[in-house]
Amino acid sequence: MAILEARGVHKVYETRGVETTAVNGVDLALEPGEFTVLYGPSGCGKTTLLNLLGALDEPTRGTVHLLGRDLGQLSSAALAQLRLHELGFIFQAYNLIPVLTARENVEFVMELQGVPAGDRKARSDAILAEVGLAEMADKRPLEMSGGQQQRVAVARAIVGRPAVVLADEPTANLDSHTASALLDLMLQLNRESGVTFLFSTHDPMVIEKARRRVRLLDGRIEADEREA
Amino acid sequence: MGGRTAAVLAGLRRGGRFSTQVFAAIARDRILWRVAWRNVWRNGRRTGVVVTAIAVGIAGAVLSMAIQFGMVFQMVETAIATDLGHVQVHAPGFRDDPGLDHRLDDGGRAGGVALDELPQVAAWSPRVRASGLITSPRSSAGIQLIAIEPAREAAITVVSDSMVAGAYLDGDARRVLIGQALADRLHVKVGSKVVVSATDVHGDLAGEAFRVAGLYRTASLEMDRTTVFVRLSEGQKLLALGEAVSELVVRARDRKDAADLAAELGRRLGSEADVRTWRELAPLLVYFVDMFDQMAWIVYAAVFIAMAFGIANVLLMAVFERTREIGVMRSIGMNGQRVVGLVTLESVFLVLVGLAAGFALTGLGLFLLRDGIDLSRWAQGLNALGVSNTITPVLRPADVLAPVVVATITALLAGLWPAIRASRAQPADALRHV
Ligand SMILES: Nc1ncnc2c1ncn2[C@@H]1O[C@H](COP(=O)(O)OP(=O)(O)O)[C@@H](O)[C@H]1O
Ligand SMILES: [Mg+2]
Repeated sequence: MAILEARGVHKVYETRGVETTAVNGVDLALEPGEFTVLYGPSGCGKTTLLNLLGALDEPTRGTVHLLGRDLGQLSSAALAQLRLHELGFIFQAYNLIPVLTARENVEFVMELQGVPAGDRKARSDAILAEVGLAEMADKRPLEMSGGQQQRVAVARAIVGRPAVVLADEPTANLDSHTASALLDLMLQLNRESGVTFLFSTHDPMVIEKARRRVRLLDGRIEADEREA
Repeated sequence: MGGRTAAVLAGLRRGGRFSTQVFAAIARDRILWRVAWRNVWRNGRRTGVVVTAIAVGIAGAVLSMAIQFGMVFQMVETAIATDLGHVQVHAPGFRDDPGLDHRLDDGGRAGGVALDELPQVAAWSPRVRASGLITSPRSSAGIQLIAIEPAREAAITVVSDSMVAGAYLDGDARRVLIGQALADRLHVKVGSKVVVSATDVHGDLAGEAFRVAGLYRTASLEMDRTTVFVRLSEGQKLLALGEAVSELVVRARDRKDAADLAAELGRRLGSEADVRTWRELAPLLVYFVDMFDQMAWIVYAAVFIAMAFGIANVLLMAVFERTREIGVMRSIGMNGQRVVGLVTLESVFLVLVGLAAGFALTGLGLFLLRDGIDLSRWAQGLNALGVSNTITPVLRPADVLAPVVVATITALLAGLWPAIRASRAQPADALRHV
């Protein structure tokens, strides 16, 4: 069964009477453990689709199911609960909480989840070591490089043991070497933990790394290929 | 109509449930406290501006309140200490017609017996009071003649401590005490001869020559210009009163006891006497104090409203600027209650820091003013109100509590609205915000 599924999803924005169809009838199902890239030119609707899949926005038409539950039927509190426990997000601009250290950023999610302090410590130590930032644990975001911040963001996205991690152009602000390393890290985590990944990009080198490639154009899925 | 009421009630219920959840989140999630506290210090300049505004506003308002109240307090104290005492006993009818017709014929003995038994009484003294005329070789003036028992009176009013020349009424016969201001007007000095005349109890004009024993100066210019003291027995003789007196003046151990004391004394003396507190004796003073108080509160309110707008403005900006960050927090799983809890905590912390700074500044101000503010440059005008040259600020609990309550409520209200807005929008919209 699909872990995250969009059926006939449309998103129409209206600004000052002008309608923009950002997502125009998307059907997409992610199977558990998949590592999928969503690619296409700027403005094709990647961010909008990821927001819809991640319960950050409501589709104008169509449905999104996460773990078999129709997001359209859930209260905002229930959606927050789903985001907390079943979804992880990584953003282009890292978006760590600036007043918290790397470790505190990672623990933040677990604190919200109500994980006991002892477990939090053990899990944040482990995940920071895994992303290669054991030494940076007590640094705040502004004291870290972009690549380091994004690795903390990856750690934060995965530490709550979500079903799906959604990443919107996570490498766009990184140089190619760092971008490639980040992708390798995400792949490794995907292999080890079996967490489903969906990330967007328009960088060909990054697209290469994915095992499933979904091409989006003008809000529609143009191609959907799986590696054998 | 009924549907509307039901909708409002449902809304209130929802709001109540939401607030409960917000408080639950604040109570439960220590991480909110940590993030909120650090956020306070994140934008140093903004925090500086808010904290300074609150601190200066509070210190200014509280100190000016304390000074004003200190002034009012002194006015009351002056009136009590120079003339009123805390409680006075008269013959019935004296208040409407304060002349010699209404007198205590027993010389205040019945009152004295009762007063000696009351534990709240610190001291009491008999007086004769009449209006009259004082004449020097160069000039004359209308006066209030008060005949006192010097030793007893000294335990009640400040005249004995306010001598600027000569001596308080001592053993010598036929001596008067007059105010410095009156002496200047009459062109007399210590030892000069004056004639005091008044209408006696029979309606005849009576006069007697006295020597000036001493000059006094109190905080009340009015008194210094018009009040002349003689010994009780000499006053009684001049006015042909026999042993009758006009009043008994009483000093309570504590000003707050005045009402109780008057009530108890009134019960004991029955209809023989008219017992009044200083408040009843000086309604104009009380009115003035009340008016002063109200005016001060208006000033207070104005300062706080201005402050509240300042705080609200900054908090609105602070939340608005961080719309995107709030979007991030929501996308990683913070629910609306937690977002509101975080922003509320942040606002309250910010204001508490401001309050702490404000009270530190107030404390510093009070410390610097501990010896009082010297107003001698304006003292001439103030003396007319019964305020001395030096004013010591008086801080009341309400003056401290009011800013705390106002600032905290402002913080809650100002932080709440943008927080609720931020918690309601789609996270995607917040994330797009730059
Ligand atoms: N909030 C919005 N209001 C109006 N139009 C929007 C909004 N967000 C995105 N769009 C439009 O929707 C289309 C898809 O945008 P987006 O999902 O951001 O694409 P991508 O992430 O692939 O660059 C674009 O044409 C963009 O201008
Ligand atoms: Mg985008």
